[in-house]
Amino acid sequence: MSADNPITVATVHASAHKLFSVRRTWAIASNTFRDLVRQKVFYFMLVFALILIGTSVAMASISFQGQLQTVMDVCLGAMSVFTMLLAVLSTAMLLPKDMEDRTLYTILAKPVARFEYLAGKLIGVTMILLIATLLMTAAFCVVLYYWQGREIENIRLNDPVERATAAIAQLKAGTFTPTLFGGIGIILLRSIVCATLTLMLSCFATSWLFTVIVALMMILAGHLVPIARTVWQGPLGSAMDVPFHIAILMRLITVFVPDMQIFIVVDDIAVGVSVSGEVFLRIAGMGAGYVAVYLLVGYLFFAWKEL
Amino acid sequence: MRLALESSAKGRILGILVLLAWGIAKFPLEARLEKRMEDTRLGGYRPTASLRQQAGQAGFIAALGGLRAAVADMLWIRAHMAWQDVQYGRMKLLFDTCTAMQPRRVSFWDIAAWHMAWNGSVHIENAEHDPIVRRAKMREFYRLGEDFLLRGIESNPESWELYDRLGMLYRDKFKDMAKASAAYEEASRRPGHLEYTRRFAAYYLAEVPGREQEAYARLLALFHEGEHEWLPTLFRQIQKMEERLGIPDAQRIYHEVVKFAGTPGHAESAYAALRDLIKTGARQPAVIEMARALEQKMDMPAERQIKLPPHDQRPPE
Amino acid sequence: MNTPAIAIESLTKEFTNPSVFRRGKITAVKNLTLSVEAGQVYGLLGPNGSGKSTTMKIVLGLVTPTAGRTSIFGRDSRDVESREAVGFLPENPYFYKFLTGAETLDFYGKLCGLGGKVLRDRSRELLALVGLEDAANRRVGGYSKGMLQRIGLAQALVQEPRLLVLDEPTAGVDPAGSLEIRDLILRMKQRGITVMLCSHLLSQVQEICDRIGIMNHGELVREGALDDLISIENQTELTLENASPALLAELRERAEAGGARVLAAHKPQQNLERYFLEVTREKK
Repeated sequence: MSADNPITVATVHASAHKLFSVRRTWAIASNTFRDLVRQKVFYFMLVFALILIGTSVAMASISFQGQLQTVMDVCLGAMSVFTMLLAVLSTAMLLPKDMEDRTLYTILAKPVARFEYLAGKLIGVTMILLIATLLMTAAFCVVLYYWQGREIENIRLNDPVERATAAIAQLKAGTFTPTLFGGIGIILLRSIVCATLTLMLSCFATSWLFTVIVALMMILAGHLVPIARTVWQGPLGSAMDVPFHIAILMRLITVFVPDMQIFIVVDDIAVGVSVSGEVFLRIAGMGAGYVAVYLLVGYLFFAWKEL
Repeated sequence: MRLALESSAKGRILGILVLLAWGIAKFPLEARLEKRMEDTRLGGYRPTASLRQQAGQAGFIAALGGLRAAVADMLWIRAHMAWQDVQYGRMKLLFDTCTAMQPRRVSFWDIAAWHMAWNGSVHIENAEHDPIVRRAKMREFYRLGEDFLLRGIESNPESWELYDRLGMLYRDKFKDMAKASAAYEEASRRPGHLEYTRRFAAYYLAEVPGREQEAYARLLALFHEGEHEWLPTLFRQIQKMEERLGIPDAQRIYHEVVKFAGTPGHAESAYAALRDLIKTGARQPAVIEMARALEQKMDMPAERQIKLPPHDQRPPE
Repeated sequence: MNTPAIAIESLTKEFTNPSVFRRGKITAVKNLTLSVEAGQVYGLLGPNGSGKSTTMKIVLGLVTPTAGRTSIFGRDSRDVESREAVGFLPENPYFYKFLTGAETLDFYGKLCGLGGKVLRDRSRELLALVGLEDAANRRVGGYSKGMLQRIGLAQALVQEPRLLVLDEPTAGVDPAGSLEIRDLILRMKQRGITVMLCSHLLSQVQEICDRIGIMNHGELVREGALDDLISIENQTELTLENASPALLAELRERAEAGGARVLAAHKPQQNLERYFLEVTREKK
């Protein structure tokens, strides 16, 4: 090529630009995943979760009865808390880090739509959350299986044969249920909602710490949404008892904060309540709604952001 | 994809508008889902201000974040430590918190009630000297146990166990057989109940003055279900009712037992039924004759035969 | 006429003062009009805070203008498609530290819609071009400043853009590295790639740019072909070798007789950069 013949270079990308490209989004997602896997926070969280599962064993051994239930309660609780924290902490750092390192400039200076960038980040975090949940579930199943074995042994020793057989069958049928795994699925969904919420906030916020604090506060307040809704829905007489500023606050919470209480099914699952597929679907539908809306709002914040 | 607006403020305003629209749209959806979950008895727990005081700030926040069940377990262990220290007041508070956090856990209600009505009342019985105060305090503990069971039933209306414990509490502590019978009756209507709850409902009804007719009908129904129901208590209660209601001889149940014993093929079980019938008060000659006949037929040694007291050789008039 | 590589029309950008106490607007770019023709190497100069970085970001669609419009080869900068034709190297770039050089190019290639063998070949070619074949499988986290700048240049070139935008490409790089980057830019120019360069290392700009614009306080104060701007029309420099003092005296006399005035006569000095490179190369 010579200088006399200047414009002959761009030949590779002959195809038309696509509005949304799976390849570009996937490139960002897999890169985000690799980035997160290499971050120590992930391993720290995982070790912490494993320690907690160990603690459940200790707690079950000092508990007087219902040891199997105690193990389930503690493990499922630990899983909900750790996936939530993992979602918030790892998502909050993604955008600020790219901005600080100016890698964001190099990425957005390529033909990458800002929506693809955000969606890619979210998919990367989702993959991490999925892997973390799977690992914790595997550890949890091992612990649960061990405690189920001990409980069966106990029943064999203490109960007459014909009652023991029935009790063991009942115990087995009530431990590894579809509802239990559905509940773990809801834990995962909840963590994805938390991640999307955090991503949305980090599109708006200027500091990493602000994002984390506001996200955690919103998630916590999210568990109070049923109360806030009751205040709003309540009859006039009872609403009058609530001071004006509280009533306003409750309305703001109902509108702007996600109802996190709908994702809390595991606490009841350990007790042996079974959940219908229809309720699972409805919860999943709400979760998907939150993810879609928060991603859209995050995009609106991000699309006009000055970099 | 073109960014028509220029200022980042516009993006923020647009974003907040979308959030607002979603917030309004989601309101009925979430309310409906909450209702649906309540209908299927999910999420019986609702955070309340009083719970915040009981669980403490840290516990309350942990409970909100998804550790509710684990926090409840921890408080449960603490309640048992309080029991070992004989602190019944503290136990009651901790039980209240645990059950508020895990209202769907039947064993929490059951054991809390048992600690109050049985252990607590016995503790008072041993510790309190003044008989009047003792009676009042013990009754107070029974009430606490009853309260736990009733609240537990409110949260777990399908649990037969809680009704069963309630029946036991009314029978053994309150000595209120009408309520005991009603509780067992409720227990026997719930899935998974054990057979005895149905019998107890009928048996204890027979102890309630003024409801003999009703009790007699129930007992007879049990009797007609078959020989597997022919237990000593049933015989006793039925014969008691026959006496009290003055049932004509022809309609009394002993005829049927004798008839059963007269049909060949099950001498052993027939003899056992006759023996139970006699033990629970039957002295009719037909019964005794049939029993003796079977003893002969089975070559029963004298020491294993039914012995009647001397003055009871003849049936009462 | 060819479409200009970059067209900037009456561009204005105002930022809101982030300080709460001193509310008001800061004008970063004021009514700027400028165009870069295809095939040129254009130097945009100016002191810090003169608005050149903001201008670049607007051209790349990273910042939205308050007024006016910019385009790349006729496509509006606000369209994502416009960035298919442009490669950008920001000032002091950092890339994902956990990726190797080759993986970095792979990542940026995928962002441009490339993949498979095309991308692998392109990646190898670029690593050779910027002289990083040996470091291709090392983590970027361990790269020196010059290497980072070179991998940055390679990623900017990954989709074979027609336009390169370089922000301080040699900032913080040692003279040898700086020279290599300069040579790379000249090679791009030979290939027909338009280059827009932001720098305040004027000697370098002077060596490679065809045309420059000087910005100050958000405004373009001078613009034109480099030679036209800096040559002094009524002066001529003569450099002689082995001239005797007598010859010099004679020349001076002739000049004054001809009506010219001799302003200065001195021994030319070596360029310090060249001297430094000579000395450091001897040591190797």
